[in-house]
Amino acid sequence: MFATTIKKAPSMKRLLPVSLAALAVLASATAQAAAPGIAGNTINLTAQPAYISQPDGNSVYSWGYGCTTPPATTAFVPTMANVTPFCNTMQVPGPTLVVTEGQTVTVTLTNALPTAAGNTSILFPGFTLTSTCAAANQGLLTCEAAPGGTVTYTFVASTPGTRAYYSGTQGDLQVEMGLYGAIIVLPNAAPTNGSCPAHNTAAGVNTAGTALVAGGEDDFRLSATGAAYHLTQSCYDREYLFQFSEIDPNIHIQALAQVSAKAGCTAGAAGCSLNVPTEPYHPVYFMINGRSMPDDMDTNYAAQYQHQPYNGNPHMHPGELTLLRIIGQGRWQHPFHEHGNHVRILARDGNLIASALTGTGASQLAGPLLFTTTTTPGQAMDGIFYWTGKGLNWDAYGHNPASSAASNMPVHDACVPDANGYYTSNPLAINYFEWCQDHNKPMQAAPFGDVAGGGPTTLPEATLFTNGAWFGGSPYLGPDATVRATGPTGTTPPSGTIANSPTGEAGFAFMWHSHNEREITTNNIFPGGMLMMMLVDSREFVIDESQ
Amino acid sequence: MLSSFQFNRLLVGSVLCLSASLAGAQSFRVQCPTSTVTHPVAANNNSEPVYAGPTYTGTNGYGTTPANVNGAIKCQQISGGDGYAAMGDGTQTYLFSFGPLSGITDIALGKPGTQFPSVFNVRFPVTTSNFLSPGDPATTIGAATTPLTPTQLGTLASYNYNGAVGLDYNIANIVSIYDISESGSTVTVVTNVPLDLNLKVGDKVTISGVAPPAGDVPLGYQGTFTVTAVNVPNAFFPANFAFRYTAAATGLATVNMSSTAAAAIPKLLDGHVDPRQIMDVGVMNGNIPAPLMAIDEDDEFFLTLTNVGMIMRPDLFEQHTVHFHGYPNASAFYDGVPDASVAINIAASFTYYYLAPDAGTYFWHCHITPPEHLQMGMVGQLFVRPRQNRVTAGANLYTARATQDTDLRTACVSAHDILCSNPLPAVNSGATHTAGATYAYNDGDGTTRYDVEYPMQIHGFDPNFHFVGMTFNPEGFADMKDKYFLLNGRSYPDTVSAGPLQTQSADGVNHFSQPLPAIVTIPHGGRALLRISDLDVSEYQTLASLGIPMQVIGYNAKLLRDEAGNNMYYTTNSITLGGGESLDVILDACAVRGPAPTYSCTTPMAAGTYYLYTPNLDHLSNDAENFGGLMTEVHVN
Repeated sequence: MFATTIKKAPSMKRLLPVSLAALAVLASATAQAAAPGIAGNTINLTAQPAYISQPDGNSVYSWGYGCTTPPATTAFVPTMANVTPFCNTMQVPGPTLVVTEGQTVTVTLTNALPTAAGNTSILFPGFTLTSTCAAANQGLLTCEAAPGGTVTYTFVASTPGTRAYYSGTQGDLQVEMGLYGAIIVLPNAAPTNGSCPAHNTAAGVNTAGTALVAGGEDDFRLSATGAAYHLTQSCYDREYLFQFSEIDPNIHIQALAQVSAKAGCTAGAAGCSLNVPTEPYHPVYFMINGRSMPDDMDTNYAAQYQHQPYNGNPHMHPGELTLLRIIGQGRWQHPFHEHGNHVRILARDGNLIASALTGTGASQLAGPLLFTTTTTPGQAMDGIFYWTGKGLNWDAYGHNPASSAASNMPVHDACVPDANGYYTSNPLAINYFEWCQDHNKPMQAAPFGDVAGGGPTTLPEATLFTNGAWFGGSPYLGPDATVRATGPTGTTPPSGTIANSPTGEAGFAFMWHSHNEREITTNNIFPGGMLMMMLVDSREFVIDESQ
Repeated sequence: MLSSFQFNRLLVGSVLCLSASLAGAQSFRVQCPTSTVTHPVAANNNSEPVYAGPTYTGTNGYGTTPANVNGAIKCQQISGGDGYAAMGDGTQTYLFSFGPLSGITDIALGKPGTQFPSVFNVRFPVTTSNFLSPGDPATTIGAATTPLTPTQLGTLASYNYNGAVGLDYNIANIVSIYDISESGSTVTVVTNVPLDLNLKVGDKVTISGVAPPAGDVPLGYQGTFTVTAVNVPNAFFPANFAFRYTAAATGLATVNMSSTAAAAIPKLLDGHVDPRQIMDVGVMNGNIPAPLMAIDEDDEFFLTLTNVGMIMRPDLFEQHTVHFHGYPNASAFYDGVPDASVAINIAASFTYYYLAPDAGTYFWHCHITPPEHLQMGMVGQLFVRPRQNRVTAGANLYTARATQDTDLRTACVSAHDILCSNPLPAVNSGATHTAGATYAYNDGDGTTRYDVEYPMQIHGFDPNFHFVGMTFNPEGFADMKDKYFLLNGRSYPDTVSAGPLQTQSADGVNHFSQPLPAIVTIPHGGRALLRISDLDVSEYQTLASLGIPMQVIGYNAKLLRDEAGNNMYYTTNSITLGGGESLDVILDACAVRGPAPTYSCTTPMAAGTYYLYTPNLDHLSNDAENFGGLMTEVHVN
């Protein structure tokens, strides 16, 4: 039933990490993410073995939760027009369960692990089970399904937020093998202190100033109210779920060897069990959502990852409030560093961190602001991130007061600041949410292309530096600004920026990664592991999370 | 086997190659403008002005005259390359590292190497007997002992050169003039080639030639003038061949195709550098931690990274970068991530530009192959001081903090910005500013005031990785295991050595390798701010305080305050950080402190020596020595 050895990568692949990464990047240049999951308060899960793939070529024998039967197409949320979502019988992480506050949730688990693996179960930390458990199924921590057997968990999704679920049976082995997942509870009503603004669907503006996409950019939020909790401070425009875990392949090799040796044994019989050492622990794969970089930047539900459907590839437009749902699913802590700005922590394990404001009674956020969000095993946190470029002291859009009106470019409005200093009155403008104090303010001393000079800095000539794959081609945001800043009188956009084309996306790329830097490797190959690129995209670029 | 003849030929060949590449292909350069759009008056940019009010009020920004010009210009130059450091057990450890190329005296004295233009834009006074030597300033002062002798420390202090290493005059640029004509008093000059591609209005140009009767250039055209227009369309050549100035005399005749007329820009200190000095000082001169940087809110910061190459690893044609870790609303271009931006090649310089972000304890590091370059030592410290330090003496801090909200760039209002960390305090403490008082944040209530500050960086070195890093073999990342545990690049007992540590590099010369001691000295009843950052790349580390409680006031470069304005400081005796985190701790040598507004100390703590150490007990070691590691002393006077 199972292959008896872990498939080995051709050794040459280990020698070519950079080209490997480059190839994967080529395939994924425009992939985006969101927080995909399965909606509904009744779900049937199965725990099964399968192989998950790593970018070094290895396929790692793992156990994961999956769907007993494929859910209805409509159960997959958010709606993703350009991919075909799937839920196979095994996936790592397990299916993300998306439910609504107050609902009674029923999860039925079937144990389809190899008989020798013994019982399995699911813990739902943060919820109180209302289901009863037959005495024969009662394990130490929760109700357990015997090999081939089934148990049902029922609980009320009492409060909104992000939480982990994971095996409550022999966790040192079963969680390591991949038995974990996330549950997202959406608030059942609008915020108590107001409502969230409508999602700005305008993007992909053409020269006539109209959105390129019929109906505009899709809204990929799970929450119908636009908020993660019952406060307007939790309103958001986009959301991403990141689950951090590690793999020590020796444990998986041992598990496979023992399972294979004991194939056909009788459940409960003497010797029909595993004795896999889980110490000393020596992980070499460091994953976000079950994938190592660069695989994590491929599309959600990409066909090559039948057992790792979720990616980690965030995109956002300037000023968009982005909800990060971050869970530590492994055994170690990981200092996850978000380049670009701080994250306001909203909640831990679904518990809003807030203090009451004397006098009005309204809650005020009290969670910390972090540039490094430490993931802790079993812990979930929600936070809000945004990027606007405020205070750069130069015009990130590369405006030229002399020529912008004359050239045949998309709508660049004059920056008329709102009460907070941003340009927000025309959602169709490329510079929607531009920081107006820096509008027209030059960066470079010499004029460059269509961008005026007079600024403080002189860039070295292009032959003196090396371009990164995600370099947008200029210091400026978006293909329009980049093309104007590099031609016709400047240099042409540079080559080698294969993942963030100067004429296509030209976003600002920020690396989000574990700052235990050895974890941004895959089996000793750099780059890899817990690493992804976050792209801040000009509003010319349509962020389609379903690609 | 090579004969000696063949060998010599090979040697000569390679030496020729080397010199050719140095002479022909280096593109070192520094940038430190004396004035900018944001700081227009050069004379005001060499000190921090009092914060008298917001830079811009209302919602308009660039284009309107600032109400107040705040902050100044700061510049720094660093080398990216390699070097050696001395571990607590005496081991000489190889580094990939940054070294100082400006503020070299200040850095050696444990101070930031960040300088105003008036200090940075000073060339070393080179003469036949006065020049920068490899290893300077350690070489010149004869550094050989640790700690330095009082005589050596005195010599170091009087060395006092803090300018940009290598800065030198450019060559006067002279071009011949094709046509010179006047309309009214406006003179248009068309040269035979562009005088300077970066010529701009305000530049000084000297016009010369032979006057009649011997020549054809009237005296009225001659002299040094200020350029009034560039890129002037003309009948002869492209526009950038022509510029204008205003002459005193009018009615001068047009001179065409003069054989003597010339336009010149005199020799200037404009960022041109002498690569000899850069290489002499920058090569094999790495520091751990990397050069300290300190700026003030509202400053413009020009950081020039000069890639001098890694001498011990000629197989690596590595770029280096600077990542300003934790900067809010960072620019992808200047973020230092090579994948997301550009990275400077060997033998060239790149200048990073930022307006100082919100006050706080940040840090910086190279972002090329981070597991390797960080483990190998390319990590440094950086902090931003708050505007509150600069308010008028006697001003109410709450009012001064409220003033910052009138400029939208410096405003922090929770209702408008979810990432605002220092909203107005919930209550006005009545605290006022004392001249010279310093604070960690714009707290508005004086609670982050400190008397002395100490940057304290936690790091770890894996000696096996460093050994492999000096060879040409592939490194293992998953097996990384630190054996040296470092505070400011030193492990105990080196942490309590005063002055800089030096290490002999492979060039046979002593270099100041670890300039920053980790001894904390607190005045009687005073408060010390520890700016703690962690750049360990493999595990979490805990630092505990024996005796003096640690009050945590900031985390990840943000004040600990909720949206309602309540301080969320907490007191503890240990803090735990992973790589890529920072926090601010106040050690208060006062047992009982009075209330706001003065917070005066009523019962000072007894004088004595206290300790900071790690309860990760296996980290109290220096490789095989089981005593040392992450530990230092706190001296309370």
